[in-house]
Amino acid sequence: MSLGFYPKLAMDGIRKNRRMYVPYLLTCAGMAAMFYILAFLCDSPAMQSLPGAVSLGIMLRLGTGVIAVFACIFLFYTNSFLMRRRKKEFGLYNILGMSKRNLARVLFWETLISAALSLAAGLAVGVAFSKLAELVLVRLALGDIGYSLSVSPASLVFTAAVFGVIFLLILLNSLRQVRFSGALALLQSEQAGERPPKGNALLGLAGLALLGGAYYIAVTIDDPLSALTWFFLAVLMVIVATYVIMISGSVVFCRFLQSRKSYYYKPNHFVSTASMRFRMKRNGAGLASICVLATMVLVMLSSTTSLYFGTESALLERYPRGINVTVRPRTDMGALGTETVAAVRGKILDTAESFGAKPANILDYRAATVYAQLDGGDITTFSAENSVSFTAGCVVVFTDLDDYNAMTGEGETLGPDEVLAYMSRWGGVPSELRINGERTLRVKREAADFAKDGDSAASIIPTMTVVVSDLDEFIESFPLFRNYVGVWSWHYGFDTGLDAAGDRALFSVLVSGLRDDAEAAGISTNTTCRSTNRADFYTLYGGFLFLGITLSVVFVFAAVLIIYYKQISEGYEDEKRFGIMQKVGMMKREIRKSINSQLLTVFFLPLGLAVCHLAFAFPMIRKLLMLFNLTNSGIFLATTGISLAVFAVFYTLVYKITSNAYYNIVSGAKRE
Amino acid sequence: MSILEASGLQKIYFSRFGASRVEALKSVTFSVEEGEYVAIMGESGSGKTTLLNILAALDRPTGGVVLLDGRDLSTVKESQAAAFRRSNLGFVFQEFNLLDTFSIEDNIYLPLVLAGKNHRDMQGLLMPIAARLGIVEILKKYPYEVSGGQKQRAAVARAMITSPRLILADEPTGALDSRSTDELLRLFTEVNRLGQTILMVTHSVKAASSAGRVLFIRDGEVFHQLYRGTDTDEQFYQKISDTLTLLATGGGKQ
Repeated sequence: MSLGFYPKLAMDGIRKNRRMYVPYLLTCAGMAAMFYILAFLCDSPAMQSLPGAVSLGIMLRLGTGVIAVFACIFLFYTNSFLMRRRKKEFGLYNILGMSKRNLARVLFWETLISAALSLAAGLAVGVAFSKLAELVLVRLALGDIGYSLSVSPASLVFTAAVFGVIFLLILLNSLRQVRFSGALALLQSEQAGERPPKGNALLGLAGLALLGGAYYIAVTIDDPLSALTWFFLAVLMVIVATYVIMISGSVVFCRFLQSRKSYYYKPNHFVSTASMRFRMKRNGAGLASICVLATMVLVMLSSTTSLYFGTESALLERYPRGINVTVRPRTDMGALGTETVAAVRGKILDTAESFGAKPANILDYRAATVYAQLDGGDITTFSAENSVSFTAGCVVVFTDLDDYNAMTGEGETLGPDEVLAYMSRWGGVPSELRINGERTLRVKREAADFAKDGDSAASIIPTMTVVVSDLDEFIESFPLFRNYVGVWSWHYGFDTGLDAAGDRALFSVLVSGLRDDAEAAGISTNTTCRSTNRADFYTLYGGFLFLGITLSVVFVFAAVLIIYYKQISEGYEDEKRFGIMQKVGMMKREIRKSINSQLLTVFFLPLGLAVCHLAFAFPMIRKLLMLFNLTNSGIFLATTGISLAVFAVFYTLVYKITSNAYYNIVSGAKRE
Repeated sequence: MSILEASGLQKIYFSRFGASRVEALKSVTFSVEEGEYVAIMGESGSGKTTLLNILAALDRPTGGVVLLDGRDLSTVKESQAAAFRRSNLGFVFQEFNLLDTFSIEDNIYLPLVLAGKNHRDMQGLLMPIAARLGIVEILKKYPYEVSGGQKQRAAVARAMITSPRLILADEPTGALDSRSTDELLRLFTEVNRLGQTILMVTHSVKAASSAGRVLFIRDGEVFHQLYRGTDTDEQFYQKISDTLTLLATGGGKQ
């Protein structure tokens, strides 16, 4: 005997239960591989060289954390299926004279072997695919990368350590289960009598109410900031509601159907309704998990892909022009004279010219900005005395009519206390503006969106731009700046007509040139360049997409496995029932039809509910994406549709495969 | 006339590659008259269960013919076998075979629901039977909540509710204690007196002694049969017992 007795027994156990064990080992391996890949990327030099590597690193570390926690919970869950089937075997060993200590040794070896197998496979796969993952990530971030394969020993050790701990916990849990149950209990654990599930109607209703509440929040919220604060609560409510409804609500529903005698006592409904009631009790939690996982996958995939494919439009939103310069006085209350502005403008144009740039699409306006709380048409400016509520906050930008006319080519005229206005990003323009209750301005009409310099896109609160007939006089005549904090600024932006490299070269010279002059002129300058920021954007959004895909793969893995175990364990349970029904006079075709309809319901219920969740989450997520400058809802709608279609096809495929496994088990009964 | 006629039944099982053959039934011939209560006895492995499966159209004989009400079972198509069983035969099994997902009531209704009866008619059929079998109180309970004897009476109710031509019972007392056994046998006798034809397979002398006629099977053939005539249960029991002793000690073949 080359192997010791216990390792051999453990190997036999694994081999004999391979229908249960293989998927378990595959999951362990898959989780380990994913974990290694993310850990590897955190330290990867190629990743470090990307612009914005720091935030990307944080994101990836967060990803490894999520996977570790998820793997722990999930492997425990799948291990419980294994243990349920193995207990009978252990009971037999126990009766045949093996002590609990001996059983513990078998369990120890089993865990050791499965840990070794799955970790070896997982790490091998992880190493093999880490390069691919690196390539994908760096390509997504538009970076350059070599093709040499590298292995990170530190990440290998880290992965092995994390999964070692998880396996140790699983072993301890299994030992506990064997330790505290007698031989007979072990032997019969699979066929313990089951009482009919009652289902708690109150709990079911509570679940529905909770879900309704979450949906209500998701649908009625109209500004992105509230969406951000309420999102996590809504997610939590939906998760809890899903579990409660699946576990309790479905049983209550089946009971209701059973109480309707004219419905229940029909050949098509009789067997399915009664077995569904039991099935839902056993599988409620599993189905709810599938539903939650499916929803998470769909939300992650659709939002990250739409973000990534919307990167360019988000970039344009944030940086409408190739180069943008904002000049502000050094002191808060200081004014910004036209001579100062002219000097800076001259400097910018000279520099641009020296690089051969042909400034086009020019943005040029002065503004005075205050932070205020906006409530209908009432603007309450921020000051030391009154603090502004975060969610109702608004940036109010006053601009001059001359600038407006020059930029839009309109010939607009304004009377006293007459203004033009528009809101950026979200919210509508009121017909009257009452400032601090002191002065009322009539909004003549909605202005064109002329002062688009990207600052409003960078801010997480909305911006209201107000065009007044004479800005200097307006500020002078109105004690806005004397009593409240306000800032003068001058905005200048243009497209260069140069390529990205030219943009970047012009940008770096311009930044240092303006900085040199700024102090003497008593101003501060802020210069941005779209080309230099593009890489940052792609790193960030590419990172999101990468993480979204990675976690989706892990979650899909999990969902598939839950489905598989559900089908297998149900197959074993239904095997006997199938035989009885046949003896009592049910045709094979009838049985198959009834089982088919149950499987289908049980299978597509979570998907249906997930789609429902997604539909209600859609408006909320759309608003959240606005915070990331994704205002193009079309992209999000398209990616959601595509994600859903891909997921549904995949899900159906898994259904076909696993229901075959189910039929193989159940059809064992037909030879009786 | 005979309800059931079996003639020359033969069943041969082959191992997977035909390497060896087992003859479960050699040649079984017997008939059951309307209103009879017949027990078939034999040791384990004598072919009792095989015979029952063939009579129930769950299995097909290698040779020979089974006629139920003059109809040849081999002409019943595989796809119609289930419906045929449902409407002509009632089953009582050793291990009750109640579905644990149904209440006792629903278990009894099962064949009726499958036959597409409406609920009002079902209730009308159930109540007299439930009253006679003494299971009215447990109708709403689930199989795991009631005793073995009660489960078996529920199974009998399920077998009777379609008013089948013939009730087939496979070791119905095998899993019951002596009190429940007595009760069940008394029920069978009573039901039989009301005109129900019963064919029971058993190796319990006690169960067999409640029947009107006992067939003995050995090595795949009907070896002997006994009629009760005017015997009491005790006298019949003694006769059966003697016959079995004869069988076991190797009484010469016919």
